[in-house]
Amino acid sequence: MARSITHFLPLILFAILAVIAAIALVMTLSGERKISELPSALIGKPVPVTELPSLTDAQAFVKIDGTGNAPYMVNFFASWCAPCRAEAPALAILAKEIDIIGIAYKDKPEDSRKFLADFGNPYARIGIDNAGNAGLDWGVYGVPETYIISADGIVLKRHAGPIDGDNLRKIFLPFIASLKAQ
Amino acid sequence: MLSPEIGHFCLILALVTSVAQIILPTLGVLRADTRLTTTAEGLQIISSIAIFISFASLLYAFIVSDFSVQLVASHSHSLKPMIYKITGSWGNHEGSLLLWIVILGLFGLLFVIREARARLKTLTLIVMGGITLAFLAFSLFTSNPFTRLSPAPLDGRGLNPVLQDIGLALHPPMLYLGYVGLSMAFAIAIAGLIIGQVDKNWARITRFWVVLAWSALTAGIALGSWWAYYELGWGGWWFWDPVENASLMPWLAATALLHSVIVVERREQMVSWTILMAITAFSLSLVGTFIVRSGLLTSVHSFASDPARGIFILFILLGAVGLPLFLYGLRAGKIGRASDYHLLSRETGLILNNYILVVSTFIVLIGTLYPLGLELFTGAKITVGAPYFDAAFNPVMGIGILFMAIGPLLVWRRGLIASARPALYLSAGGALAGIILLLVLSGISVTGIAGIALTLWLGLSIIGDMVFRLRPWQAGMGDRLRLPATQWGMWLAHFGMVIFLTGALASSLFERENIVRVQKGATIPLGTETLVFDGVEARTGPNYVTETALLRLFDKDGQLIDGLYPEKRFYPAERQTTTEAAIRTRLSGDHYAVLGDGDSDTGYTLRLYHKPLVSWIWFGAVMMACGGLIALYRRPNKAVNPLVEAR
Repeated sequence: MARSITHFLPLILFAILAVIAAIALVMTLSGERKISELPSALIGKPVPVTELPSLTDAQAFVKIDGTGNAPYMVNFFASWCAPCRAEAPALAILAKEIDIIGIAYKDKPEDSRKFLADFGNPYARIGIDNAGNAGLDWGVYGVPETYIISADGIVLKRHAGPIDGDNLRKIFLPFIASLKAQ
Repeated sequence: MLSPEIGHFCLILALVTSVAQIILPTLGVLRADTRLTTTAEGLQIISSIAIFISFASLLYAFIVSDFSVQLVASHSHSLKPMIYKITGSWGNHEGSLLLWIVILGLFGLLFVIREARARLKTLTLIVMGGITLAFLAFSLFTSNPFTRLSPAPLDGRGLNPVLQDIGLALHPPMLYLGYVGLSMAFAIAIAGLIIGQVDKNWARITRFWVVLAWSALTAGIALGSWWAYYELGWGGWWFWDPVENASLMPWLAATALLHSVIVVERREQMVSWTILMAITAFSLSLVGTFIVRSGLLTSVHSFASDPARGIFILFILLGAVGLPLFLYGLRAGKIGRASDYHLLSRETGLILNNYILVVSTFIVLIGTLYPLGLELFTGAKITVGAPYFDAAFNPVMGIGILFMAIGPLLVWRRGLIASARPALYLSAGGALAGIILLLVLSGISVTGIAGIALTLWLGLSIIGDMVFRLRPWQAGMGDRLRLPATQWGMWLAHFGMVIFLTGALASSLFERENIVRVQKGATIPLGTETLVFDGVEARTGPNYVTETALLRLFDKDGQLIDGLYPEKRFYPAERQTTTEAAIRTRLSGDHYAVLGDGDSDTGYTLRLYHKPLVSWIWFGAVMMACGGLIALYRRPNKAVNPLVEAR
């Protein structure tokens, strides 16, 4: 009897995996598992200090740390990512309110430049993260992904996926307004 | 003439045929009616041909640039070179799914032609019908490649120079040959499980398809890795991305299956385990096919995937994995026989091989799925990268290589082959000498030394085995050369592993890199060699203009070796720039130069690398694949197939 149960072990293992996958899918479909609302281990913590070669100035580096004097946003993007195109208008509006530092994630510099020429450049500075190491430090889940950082370098908010008109009006603009009011 | 509607119609025809291919032969088996069981072959032939016509009509739409087909409009362009119009037909979700089905039809047809008529064949074809049905339904109901577009656009949107690459175009068909080949092994395994007769003959039939699939999978993965190396310009060749892991897992499981099926063929041991491996390998290749399409695992490649397809995929997986595993649970205890071998035997060696490969498959599986599980239970989202895999996967593989040297020196049932002792003394001595030399002479890390020692250990054991078995110093070697093809194939494939390890170790341990910003005339050191930068000139290609850096490479004595000409290409029509690395490939290593930004006033950025033996990585993989193909060769066998039914 014990012998026959061991033969069902693979099925049990598969069933557990299948149930997990099913829950994940159902939650995604019902809208309960929102890929954009991401609790990040970084929230309330200092930014991971990041230094990357600049996309626009071959000799300069873009440094992200807690030494700024105003809140800013960090946005991971790539030319190969279609949703990044979709959020270009929202970023253009946000750029008027707050400094945005762009990080070109796993992208070739010339492709990034072409992308910015086509869809507009909302960024104050842009770092090149060709190998995706900065993405690992930040725990980036996919592109586009956006972080809001306080003036003293604390991560306040994380948003995965494109910023659409809805997020822009309901989340981003009010949040930035309240930051400025402080 | 070959309109998309014909393609669409043929897909539906194949779907209906597959339903019949499940029902009619099943009825035949239940009623013991040979008129019904033999329909399986004819139906498989009809469905294969219908699938081929369907794919031909998709190819035709791409060739003539029929932009009224949505897929062509999104993924092609009238100005694309013809070869990339053709390969573009499978460079997208819908088309690649159809290619998968085409290869399934091809293997089904081959199976009908190759195997003798028997109960095992009928049942295998019923299972094949089920797999074909699932994929056709998925294609027709969620990913129809023949959807029309009205009004048709004047031109397509798919003219991206980066994607016009022959390595990228050939990678999916190779990989799919491997994935789908494993579906044959799976179908035969299920058939064997139902009949309850898993014996030498079953293993002989299964091994052919497993080895074929494994060779294609090896070549497919190597091709993808090679493309990433020369096209992406990051200088790396493996990134532990979920998509890469998805192809590595079926490879590891197929490698385990490849070895365990030999035990069944020779000794009828490990029978139920082999069935389990066949189910696992195919399940993982389904995961490999679907992981980026389901919306389940959000890799960087798949942000915009469709969760509705995910539900369909989940049902396919439930049917294709859950049912067989249930059947396995019911029947596995009733097949196979008690073990009758000594601890020191070929059987034990191959069981160890299987355990190590299964453990390493699990390590990759956990690294790939852990982010999903963690997210569901805690809400945290993380990415698992190279540090985890280096720490968890590499040591297990190291242990695997340790045993890989000993396994082939063992004989079935009990003991070592005659040439084992001298071969093992040779390889142990070589590995020890290597360790001592490296400890004294170099500053290589302990893991690096361990890797080199293991490579020496494995390589010398294979050479020792060959030399002491063939004994070229004694007369009559001609007779000793008449070994079975499987022995030569095994030696070649195992030595391919040595070559692969040599390339992987040398290119990471001894790489030299120099990133500089220089003016014309500068001399740049790179290890013992130097490069002289002679400035940048503009050149004109067929549909692009370039900035080409002129570099001359000198050896340590100041002798000119070669010129390197990395480029930046600008395509005016597409307003797009691409970087072409200059790679000077030699057996001894690659010189790799990339032209960065700059102008003649401020100088140019140059990234220069020397990667010793890096091409051995892919050369080794090709040797492994060829070893598999050689092992398939069988001297013409006049013996009557015992499973042939009397007609």
